[in-house]
Amino acid sequence: MLFIRESWLLIVASLCFGILLAGVNYALKPKIDANASSKQNEALKELLINAQSFEAVVKDQTVENIGAPVTVYKGVNNGQCEGWVFGATGPGYADRIDLLIAVDAKFEKIIGYNVLFSNETVGFGDKIKNSFFKDQFVGAPAAKLELFKMGDDKVINAEIIAISGATVSSNAAVEIFNQYLPNIKALLIQKGMIQ
Amino acid sequence: MSDINTPTVAKTFLTGIWKENPVLALVLGTCPTLAVTGDVASAITMGLSATFVLVCSNFVISLMRNLLKPHLRILMFTLTIATFVTIADLLLKAYLPEMSTKLGPYIPLIIVNCIIICRAEACASKNGPFISIVDGIGMGLGFTLTLSVLATIREVLSYGTILGKSVMPDGFITLFAFALPVGAFVTLGLMLGLVKIINEKLAK
Repeated sequence: MLFIRESWLLIVASLCFGILLAGVNYALKPKIDANASSKQNEALKELLINAQSFEAVVKDQTVENIGAPVTVYKGVNNGQCEGWVFGATGPGYADRIDLLIAVDAKFEKIIGYNVLFSNETVGFGDKIKNSFFKDQFVGAPAAKLELFKMGDDKVINAEIIAISGATVSSNAAVEIFNQYLPNIKALLIQKGMIQ
Repeated sequence: MSDINTPTVAKTFLTGIWKENPVLALVLGTCPTLAVTGDVASAITMGLSATFVLVCSNFVISLMRNLLKPHLRILMFTLTIATFVTIADLLLKAYLPEMSTKLGPYIPLIIVNCIIICRAEACASKNGPFISIVDGIGMGLGFTLTLSVLATIREVLSYGTILGKSVMPDGFITLFAFALPVGAFVTLGLMLGLVKIINEKLAK
């Protein structure tokens, strides 16, 4: 009884606040889920502009050599495969970096990438979101990429030129590609989706 | 602290704006002040979120002030503040998802913002709901205004923009250091010094 007498306000308040939070969460969850879904669709369409629809051919699957579960989307236009898009994550300079990577239908060339989440240093590492760095990946082979500090960033090949003053973030982006590209390709070959 | 023995609406409101401005006079909430003032939009969102939590938690705590036992006081404050911070976080995720992503952990961290718990202890637990709400609005707006001024200075100097719109003439040389933590510390330090000089002149 002493326990109840001393702490009844805490128990009642916890119950009331819990109900309030449950109500707010119930009311807002559809909107929050819709935002997340819309953001993902926009990101997918931004990468595969010719695709009319996207189908999740692999969903939250654990893949060997990749720590996080993997989801792969197939972009389709009039029944034809336009390419593959998958989420990829890896350690950056200050926090993890989440990318959305697109490759062509034969898994031979990179179509591009978008940064879904990063906490890299403003003005330096966060330039992995800028086109002058991203454009180097567009058309590059979907194979092992290498990072160089100097070179011509206009030449599209497996050599990626680092952002000046942000070698760690540049390397992090390249490493994410090198970790995911061969493993996702092997997974799609294993499933008979590509040759 | 404020003259809460005889609080009036106007005095309570204005106290938070200048005399006991949470950032410039009480030097509370320094972490979000430094972290989210790189641009004006983030600063306004953080300020208004903190104001929402301040007003709601002050109101609820003032309602339960006569029931609070000394050993449960801080626990009840934290529980109340955490509830309203979670609501603010969910609202931002629902209606301002881009800003929610941009502010990241700093919205949930309002739970441990000293300003909120300070006002719960200094005002809401000793006054009625109306004065507590006015105190929350005054303190919240004082916090929001300070963050906005700091963010305006930093955004103009580092990008030449306010709310993303260019406001400086062509050829303006931006000082990118002001977008970095060093810029936040320097600007806040100068603002604190300026406020001290003004207060000393006003006191004479």
